[in-house]
Amino acid sequence: MLRILGRATSSNVQKVVWLCEEVGIPYEREDIGGPFGGNDRPDYLALNPNGRVPTLIDGDFVIWESNACVQYLASGHAAGSWYPDDLRARARAVQWMDWSLGSLAPTHVPAFQGLIRTPPEQRNPEAIARSRDAWSKLMAMLDAHLADRAYIAGDSITMGDMPPAVISFRWFNLDFEREDYPNAKRWYDSIAARPAFARHVVDIGLA
Amino acid sequence: MLRILGRNTSSNVQKTLWAAGELGLEFEREDIGGPFGGNDKPEYLAPNPNGYVPTLVDGDYTVWESNSITRYLAATYGAGTLWPTDPRVRGSAERWMDWQIATLSPTMVTVFRGLVRTPPEDRDMALIAQARDRTAQLFAMLDGALAGSEYVAGDAFTVGDIPVGIAAYRWYHLDIEREDFRNLERWYRRLTERPAYREHIMNPLA
Repeated sequence: MLRILGRATSSNVQKVVWLCEEVGIPYEREDIGGPFGGNDRPDYLALNPNGRVPTLIDGDFVIWESNACVQYLASGHAAGSWYPDDLRARARAVQWMDWSLGSLAPTHVPAFQGLIRTPPEQRNPEAIARSRDAWSKLMAMLDAHLADRAYIAGDSITMGDMPPAVISFRWFNLDFEREDYPNAKRWYDSIAARPAFARHVVDIGLA
Repeated sequence: MLRILGRNTSSNVQKTLWAAGELGLEFEREDIGGPFGGNDKPEYLAPNPNGYVPTLVDGDYTVWESNSITRYLAATYGAGTLWPTDPRVRGSAERWMDWQIATLSPTMVTVFRGLVRTPPEDRDMALIAQARDRTAQLFAMLDGALAGSEYVAGDAFTVGDIPVGIAAYRWYHLDIEREDFRNLERWYRRLTERPAYREHIMNPLA
């Protein structure tokens, strides 16, 4: 059976378990990283020298980097749906995955970690506010892209929706002021209504 | 003809040039970004609201994000060569592409910008030294991965070698102290034998 190494509260682990449930891939998950630790141990680093979660073990094949795990699983189990066959639709999906990796994720981290993983007396309000403002600009970009399409790559959900959706859960649920992004909200609400997303992202909460 | 929008000194533009070169694709390139500007103009932001270079225009289709463009070119024009058809090989290749974006680039950029794009009197040498040390740890990781294989995803050159291959050129040409990473250097030397790498990557750092 597929093994996913990584704690359930990691947005990067969430993408992988969400996809597994959507497409019916059985898996076992092990709590590693964050408060559980273990990702600095030699046996973990032997599998994943980068030391982050998740790591995916599929028989004798090991892969890490969450978006690469998603693409690997989607291409093998969900070609034509989560992994678009059309190369232009696939590149559109991947473009927003790469954007999430290089822009959205690092931008949101100071606000998210500041508000959720830092005791109030240790928070840096200026850094949190700066991060929130920059994050908002990226949400505006996502909102504009979703103005005339239901999902990131067109009319149906694909792997391209996954990375921005797990971070959008945080955007729409953190305790801060939010601009009104109606297209992003409509898109997010349609994803939040999916049982697999609800179970692996919404029900986990902000942690 | 394919159009690549972006100055050729950008490592992100270079990914797409190298990929196009490997695939024997004809393209036109336009100087945008950095000293040329233009990436904040409405006509650039319309297809690429993120405002970074490069943007690829392929007929009526436009895509941005350098690794996405590189994957698109490889999947469209290089299935079975640059774009591995074995999902495990492809997954291994894509893993190093994502690692370059999320881990290597944000660390290495401090060294690169500090030494190449900052006047000597404005350089924060302590910060640069710290980033160099962390970059060295990351190249040690890549060196370890290359111990058992010729290229990052196995015995053949793939799309996965492109982003880290450009970072390696910078590593070997920045004026810094370098550890002896034998697997990394062997792999890098092999890249320098590729005509498209010589043409698009092996140029003065700017």
